[in-house]
Amino acid sequence: MATKQEILDELVEAVVEYEEDDCVAAAQKVLDNPDVMTPMDGVLDGLAAGMEKVGVLFDTHEYFVPEVLMCADALYAGLAVLRPHIPPVEAGTKASVVLGSVQGDVHDIGKNLVKMMFDIAGWEVYDLGRDVPLEDFVEKQLDTKSDVLAMSAMMTTTMLGMKKVIAMVKEKNPDCLIMLGGAPLTRDVANLFGADGYAESAGNAVSEGIKMIGNLRKFEKGEVT
Amino acid sequence: MTELTGKERVAKMFKKEPIDRMPCFSGQGSVTVQAIEEMGTLFAKIHNDAELMAGAALTSARMWGFDGLVIPFDMAAVAESMGRGVSLYDAVEGIIYPTVPNKWQDLDEINIPADYMSKGRMPLIDEAFRILKKDAPDLAIGAWVLGPFTQGGQIMELDILLKGLKKKKDQIEAFLAEMTQHTIDMCKHYESLGVDFLCVREMGSGTDLLSPRMWKTLIKPNLTAVFDAISVPSVNHICGSTDMIIEMMHECGADAISVDQKNDVVETRKKLGDDVLLLGNFDPYGTLTTMEDTTEVANVIKKCIDDGVDSVWPGCDIWPDVKKDNMETYVQTVKEYGVKASPAVKRT
Repeated sequence: MATKQEILDELVEAVVEYEEDDCVAAAQKVLDNPDVMTPMDGVLDGLAAGMEKVGVLFDTHEYFVPEVLMCADALYAGLAVLRPHIPPVEAGTKASVVLGSVQGDVHDIGKNLVKMMFDIAGWEVYDLGRDVPLEDFVEKQLDTKSDVLAMSAMMTTTMLGMKKVIAMVKEKNPDCLIMLGGAPLTRDVANLFGADGYAESAGNAVSEGIKMIGNLRKFEKGEVT
Repeated sequence: MTELTGKERVAKMFKKEPIDRMPCFSGQGSVTVQAIEEMGTLFAKIHNDAELMAGAALTSARMWGFDGLVIPFDMAAVAESMGRGVSLYDAVEGIIYPTVPNKWQDLDEINIPADYMSKGRMPLIDEAFRILKKDAPDLAIGAWVLGPFTQGGQIMELDILLKGLKKKKDQIEAFLAEMTQHTIDMCKHYESLGVDFLCVREMGSGTDLLSPRMWKTLIKPNLTAVFDAISVPSVNHICGSTDMIIEMMHECGADAISVDQKNDVVETRKKLGDDVLLLGNFDPYGTLTTMEDTTEVANVIKKCIDDGVDSVWPGCDIWPDVKKDNMETYVQTVKEYGVKASPAVKRT
């Protein structure tokens, strides 16, 4: 019988080596060994831990976006096995996020990497896709009262739309946290638009998203409050 | 001595012959709202009408005093002609560039019509070049094309393309070879229309996305083939992170290299030497649209020149909604501060 550490190592390696089939097999081992670990252990200490390693490889220029995308595919393959076996949050309302690429932008790599972070965390994710009309963001956020609204624009030519959405959402729902992402963004621009956070590229989305995953793991383990 | 025309100045720069001052032009879109308003039209209309396309480029160039101009303005035209459709956003208030709504999902689905250059908006772009050749004989008239990889990402899903670079290498190589031939065909077509220079924008291939190793094996050979085929002055432009690939960019054989604000131009000069034509590298949105003080704008432009560019180019398309004062300062600073020689181009 495999030990917990062996199974976790398999999950980590499958994510880092972007082996989808291996990740599914390792995730199945988690389910087959309920005496040694829970599916949530597999998600946090296996899949998410693997993605943290991917983040290090990305930061040190050993991995680039193609590798990270494949690692994400492996992670999702494992997550699809484990997620149905994780009980819903018992108390309180599940956190939620509305995300998408703004109208005029058909790029969604950065958006999808950020989405992965929320998926791991078990948030309710409302993915509006790409080339999303501005009013759709506002409508969905007000409709769902999501905790976070995350918008991505890869090109300068589309990011100005974000400013309008932020103003409309903040006016009616000032507590909603707003994250912006995209290649042309700088912290100054994000501040100017009234956003609460930003990531300047798919690359930064990887680094920032993975750091958030790390914090989530610490939080779940009670290491931070 | 009579003053050089913009066309002559740009031509001499590409030949690295002495000129009176640094030319002020770009291989990226430089149309602005002030010009569009003067024409009494809308941004959404200038992509779909030859007269308006040529007029917007020429009015902008005359208004600000550029030495050259470039069309088209959006990067969806070729993908549209290849059958992927276009979203023109003509009912949307404000400025949104056309995009490609329906990309192929898989390599096996790709089916590019043989006569794509006569489809979609391609004929009207040809007509716009003819108008500009007639109406702007004193300006350098440029065309730009996407590089093979970036054009590939316009007709098929980029994440599939990126993952394919690792998992379906042979198929992707064949696809990129096909896109390379299309890029060459487009360049030869624009040459036949009499363009004065060509800017090849492989904008999706910087090291924000791809590793230098991948760039060397999958991007460099194809760009080299493209620049080998181009007869007119050519520019190899990549936005985003280029410090790690700058030597390879140079080895692709273009007459000039263009980089954006992420490039360390001082270091690039050290790596490539003074004889290489280097263009760049200011942030057009941050400089021309958001800066409140024209002194800051002038300092950005001066820094580009001091760092060692041979012509100050924006790192990307100029966002059309620029501040008038900032545009005027940008052009004036290039013309005045650019009187001193640049590393690769001496002064008369």
